Amino acid sequence: MTIFNYSFMQNAIFVSVFISILCPCIGIFLVLRRYSMIGDTLAHASLAGVTIGLLLNQNPILGAFVFTSICGALIEFLRSYFKKYTDLILTIVLSLSVGTAITIISSGKLHVNADSFMFGSILTVTHFDMIMVLILSVISVLTLILLYHQMVYIAYDEEAAKVAGVKVRLINYIFSILVASAISVSIRIVGVLVLSSMIALPVATALQLGKGFKLTLVFSIVFSVIDIMLGLFISYYLNVAPGGFTALISVAVLVFVLLAKKLQSSIRTARCK
Amino acid sequence: MLMIKAENLFFSYTGSSPYVLDGIDLEIRDGEYVSVVGENGSGKSTLMRLILNFIKPTSGSIVPQTKRIGYVPQKNDFSNSSFPITVYEVLNSYRRLLKIKNKDIITEALEQVGLLSVKGSLMGTLSGGQSQKIRIARALMGNPDLLILDEPSTGVDIGSQKEIYSFLKKINKENGITVVSVEHNLNAAISNSTLIYHLTCGQGHLCTPQQYTDEFMKNGGKSNDNIQL
Repeated sequence: MTIFNYSFMQNAIFVSVFISILCPCIGIFLVLRRYSMIGDTLAHASLAGVTIGLLLNQNPILGAFVFTSICGALIEFLRSYFKKYTDLILTIVLSLSVGTAITIISSGKLHVNADSFMFGSILTVTHFDMIMVLILSVISVLTLILLYHQMVYIAYDEEAAKVAGVKVRLINYIFSILVASAISVSIRIVGVLVLSSMIALPVATALQLGKGFKLTLVFSIVFSVIDIMLGLFISYYLNVAPGGFTALISVAVLVFVLLAKKLQSSIRTARCK
Repeated sequence: MLMIKAENLFFSYTGSSPYVLDGIDLEIRDGEYVSVVGENGSGKSTLMRLILNFIKPTSGSIVPQTKRIGYVPQKNDFSNSSFPITVYEVLNSYRRLLKIKNKDIITEALEQVGLLSVKGSLMGTLSGGQSQKIRIARALMGNPDLLILDEPSTGVDIGSQKEIYSFLKKINKENGITVVSVEHNLNAAISNSTLIYHLTCGQGHLCTPQQYTDEFMKNGGKSNDNIQL
């Protein structure tokens, strides 16, 4: 019997496919706008959402999505009050969300262990989770396709986007919800602690290839699929949490691409001589 | 016909005194080429941002009389040079934002600035002059009545500066596009503009390039802003 015959593994692969598509699609805009740490903050916010969901006997992914969307909108809202201190906004939202999560977990009122959401687990993906992941992913990808050119321009040249009539503020709010969606989709498998690596590292790797926007996005998805699938399978055989191992694979792929790039440049220099 | 009208315009980042712009009255007619000059902090870029509606006046008003505005922002190496985007993507996405269906406009825009050959190149690999010409080509894609530029010669070599200014002069004369350009390059302002708007300490006055030069010479070769010609 191969691992593909296990229904928990099939569920995990199903969810991983969506994670590997959605995370880099969101990540490329976060990285290029130099907002990678927003991903990290919202990943931590999702833990509070999970605990609120569990406390209210609701689906934790739904809880994570709602709470993370609120936190994303809060970041966008606070941006007009702390224009030059984005890092301060993140500290505020991080304090609110981690404070909420710790308070709920330490209260002893949760009847379920929230640890699996911190480290990621392939055993805990339920059918309801899969439906949630499917709905959130499809809506998010369709929204991204619809707003693609607006979002490219907000990332590349926000002022030019404004002059062209793009409603930057509104799209930033929609983007916050998309980030929340990507995070909620990913927490089951990847876990809160290393989730930001799934958002930023495949994009960081693709950026090394020096391509245009669309190709960088495509390569980000390719690297993301490689990272998550390798992470999933190897962590299964090593019997370790998939989140941590996926993060390690992401770093390894990035280092590999950096070294290959360096080697290629050395060969080119040697040929010129 | 008026292209921009400012009346009793005050602007302060804090909402009260001191004002960056302190009671500006300005009328720019269509077909003019106006260079806005003044020392650092005199409010040149703030005035541009008010025209573009990026910020709101503290009191008074400034209204462009057209909705068809092209904007060439100041070159920002830090944010743009490492951004993974090709020239085609820059222009194509902008075309989509402007809801222009005809894809040929991209080729036409590039031909206009003589850069069709770099269509597939990454923006980050272009020279300062080339990337500025692409920004101008992009601003012209919407067929604007008013073109606003923020220091168009920053980070551009002398040869490309000449090409850019002669192109701006050409589209101003031949296509009747009103040009308003924030300038730190006084030579360019005097040689190319039909009018100069001189901002000092939040207040400004409109004059001809000749009047500006005379004023400049009267001050012993130094402008009020300590800018050397």
